[in-house]
Amino acid sequence: MRTNSLILVFVALMTFSAGAQKYITKTGQIKFYSEAPLEKIEAQTRQVKSVLDVATGRFVFQVLLKSFEFEKALMQEHFNENYVESDKYPSSTFRGKVTNIKDVNFDKDGLYDVFVEGKLTLHGDSCNVKEKGTFEIKQKQVTGKAKFIIKLADYKITIPGAVGNNISKTVEITVDVTLDKANL
Amino acid sequence: MMKIWMKILLGLLVIGIIAAFLVYKYVYNKQHPNYENIEASFTLNAQDLYQAFKINKDAGSVKYNGKVVALTGKLSKVETVDTIVTAVFVFSQGDFGDEGIRCTMLKKFNDAAKKLQPDGEVKIKGYCTGYNETDVILEKCSIINQ
Repeated sequence: MRTNSLILVFVALMTFSAGAQKYITKTGQIKFYSEAPLEKIEAQTRQVKSVLDVATGRFVFQVLLKSFEFEKALMQEHFNENYVESDKYPSSTFRGKVTNIKDVNFDKDGLYDVFVEGKLTLHGDSCNVKEKGTFEIKQKQVTGKAKFIIKLADYKITIPGAVGNNISKTVEITVDVTLDKANL
Repeated sequence: MMKIWMKILLGLLVIGIIAAFLVYKYVYNKQHPNYENIEASFTLNAQDLYQAFKINKDAGSVKYNGKVVALTGKLSKVETVDTIVTAVFVFSQGDFGDEGIRCTMLKKFNDAAKKLQPDGEVKIKGYCTGYNETDVILEKCSIINQ
């Protein structure tokens, strides 16, 4: 009986410690890509901050928009000044959760399909995002990957008339973050 | 003998071609700034920059975002992830662990940054992209020899 109680306490403690587990990164990657008749627009950053709470599935991303690097300096200027207005709205965030977090065994290496739901805030506007992605568990690291498309109009990002037809109205976003177990 | 209007037309054409070339080279295809050689808009203590954002994020953003800033201070650590080397000044603790200023180095300064000693005084210059609620981010950083 006493042994059973001890086991119960042990299990409870293990559950608690697992519950408090978080995975974080400050060097995640986000790329975006859009193709239009005149030219393709591509940019990326490695300054993505992300946290995943294993107990609740809470998943948060944040990125500073001035961090996006473009091949052409002029495009980078236009992106910051005319489209996302990064002086007024310096960052973009995603706050949501992995709805099937219980399907992921963080102690077992492997590739898991995950479903993520939440709100993406960009340019001062928020929209619901619901996407499928993957978690790859490898040596206690979680690599989360997802690819999705956003419509610029949803975030009230307007494209000046003169170039309107030469710039795509949608942008493909690729997220690639490798999170480490937080020692907090 | 070439008629006068032909000469004018030819002149305009040459000017047009030169203008198109200049616009292409210096506007459409202009180079990214060379952050190593840009003079810093602000030179200050690392702790003061962090406090400026911590106390008033909006005021800090207006003043420093998009500017080249030179920092002096005691470095806490240097992190390497893939090819990204980040010199870090830690000033606080929070949900993400260490909080402070994260300086991502220009590739040519990666090796020099890796040799920086924790707790050593450094002077680092970089392009401030903002404050993400936990850290002030400087990118394209170079080490300034003192």
